[in-house]
Amino acid sequence: MGGFRFLLPLAWRSLWRNPRRTFITMLVVCVGLWSVLTFAVLLRAWSASSRDVAIRTITGEGQIHAQGYLDDPTVAHRLPPPDAGLMAVLNGGAVSAYSARVRLSAIVQSEYKTLPVTLVGVQPAHERQISVLPAQITAGHYLSGPDDVGIVLGSNLARRLKTRVGKRVVVMVQAADGHLAERAFQVVGLFAGPRTAEDEFVFTGLKTAQRFTGIGSDLSEIAFDVSNDAALPGVLAALERAVPGADVQSWKTLEPLSYAVSTFFDQFVLMWLWIIFLLMGFGIVNTQLMAVLERTREFGLLQALGMRPRLVLLEVALESVFLVGLGVALGAAAALATVSAFPKGIDLGFLARGAELAGAGHILYPVIVPSDFVTYSLMVWVLGVLATLWPARRASKVSPVEAMSHI
Amino acid sequence: MNRAPILLAAAMCAAFAGTAQAAPDADALIRAAFDNWRAKSSETEVTMTVHRPDWERSLKMKAWTKGDDDALVRFVAPAKDAGNATLKQKNETWVFNPKLNQIIKLPGSMLAQSWMGSDFSYNDLSKADDLLTLYTHKLLSSAKDGTHTVYTIEADPKPGAPVVWGKLTAKVRDDGVMMAETYFDQDMKPVRAMTTDKVNRIGGREYPAVMTMRPVGEPGKWTRIETTSGSFDVTVPSYTFTLSNLQNPRD
Repeated sequence: MGGFRFLLPLAWRSLWRNPRRTFITMLVVCVGLWSVLTFAVLLRAWSASSRDVAIRTITGEGQIHAQGYLDDPTVAHRLPPPDAGLMAVLNGGAVSAYSARVRLSAIVQSEYKTLPVTLVGVQPAHERQISVLPAQITAGHYLSGPDDVGIVLGSNLARRLKTRVGKRVVVMVQAADGHLAERAFQVVGLFAGPRTAEDEFVFTGLKTAQRFTGIGSDLSEIAFDVSNDAALPGVLAALERAVPGADVQSWKTLEPLSYAVSTFFDQFVLMWLWIIFLLMGFGIVNTQLMAVLERTREFGLLQALGMRPRLVLLEVALESVFLVGLGVALGAAAALATVSAFPKGIDLGFLARGAELAGAGHILYPVIVPSDFVTYSLMVWVLGVLATLWPARRASKVSPVEAMSHI
Repeated sequence: MNRAPILLAAAMCAAFAGTAQAAPDADALIRAAFDNWRAKSSETEVTMTVHRPDWERSLKMKAWTKGDDDALVRFVAPAKDAGNATLKQKNETWVFNPKLNQIIKLPGSMLAQSWMGSDFSYNDLSKADDLLTLYTHKLLSSAKDGTHTVYTIEADPKPGAPVVWGKLTAKVRDDGVMMAETYFDQDMKPVRAMTTDKVNRIGGREYPAVMTMRPVGEPGKWTRIETTSGSFDVTVPSYTFTLSNLQNPRD
């Protein structure tokens, strides 16, 4: 260990014998790591936002349907009202909220236009716990109860239909007996949300929808949220036991795009890390190799004075531990500073609806995940040091006699 | 108000329809207009002209109706469109396309689409009765037109009726000829208007021979329906309004 005490200051001082070279290499590491960390935070925020938009708009973290409903969302595939066993699971601690719905493909008609929509019959009190749409009313008001006979449209849909709060629209839907049921609804409210949701969903009272389609008290789906992510598989299994034969799915199957986005982003960060590291690696190896070649005479002298080749190797490796370590520290600090520059989130308003296409919401909330920071920084540091082992080995192979004659 | 013409009209309506009430009212006038238009059964030849700012085309067709529920329209010219046919039975509508040799049952979503590129929708064919069944009628005014009296009737949707219009107004002549029909949105602004441009004697009755449908606010767009010949209360074979006859005409 005595060697270390003598090697540490030696390596540190050697580092600053050529400050310009040291700074440039440090900068390479710093910028590389900064980009990896910042990207990781951004992509995580994006994927979290995409997941939130998918789940909070209407889907929930899981849904129960009758078999076949997902392929053919009509009145033919419906669930009986929940029995005691199912209610026990839904009211249990692992499920934080649920909403029973009638949800059917329908057609909405105004004086000027006829458009395909999805008619959703809801119990407003339950729906509010699952979906953010009831809270995002821009005109009029949301439904007051399961018996409400009004209809709530998306703002954009209302604009396309040239209708507004107070006016009447006609909704057509296939009823339980197969005929085309028609009914006039008064528009009571407009909601704002992702444009696809605004265009797709129209809401009315659950019982109104059940009477309209003649399905008694049957349902199309039950959407639920779980108290924490880890509880999801358990809840899915419990629900499958409670309603044998039903189709119980998590958001990962119901919203495959959002799930794909979140998994893809995790992979993407890793790929980015490798690319950046490769580039950094070339930079570090090149500088260190140059430094070693420049200092042939010095290494020869050290060996002639009795330093073991192993210690020479250690000395060069220590230099890069300092060098890369400083770069890593600076890069991590820069990334921290960048992220904390957006305490209120990054507003994607300038992308207009473009961000929505990729599944994200309007505002991204970057969150620093300490484990990411530590892992990626350590990886860069360790790999950076490993990359300098080659020049270090080269330094240790210098023969003192040759080196002394080297100018 | 002079009630004599209304009484007279109502009496005529009763004669036509056999079901109208004795009291003169707007319902009876509307009923009379429908009966004059379609009778118990009808067979007519019609030319439809679709006009747009930069083009215009004419289609000739034959149409059969029976009661309120059944109707069949078959295009006969031009050659490009000949053979296309639309069958309506109660609330269901089918179209036949000879090029595909296929019958397609129209889904509800398509009923509001334009019929053969005109300003009429399939709904106008299949839901023509809405004016009779889904609205309450009241007489607004009457005016002299030569020897005839023309009554203006306002039709308001019954509460909860599945109609999108705010109201309709119809002008019906005392002999049961429909002279005009205007559709209003729920702000009571006119959306589209149909007018009868010419009344001719067809099949032994005064008939709206030339009718034009114009969307309001879109000048240069209109569709004209010109009835060239027709016979009413004739026996239409029962096979006429069948899918088999839709695909393989027997006439």
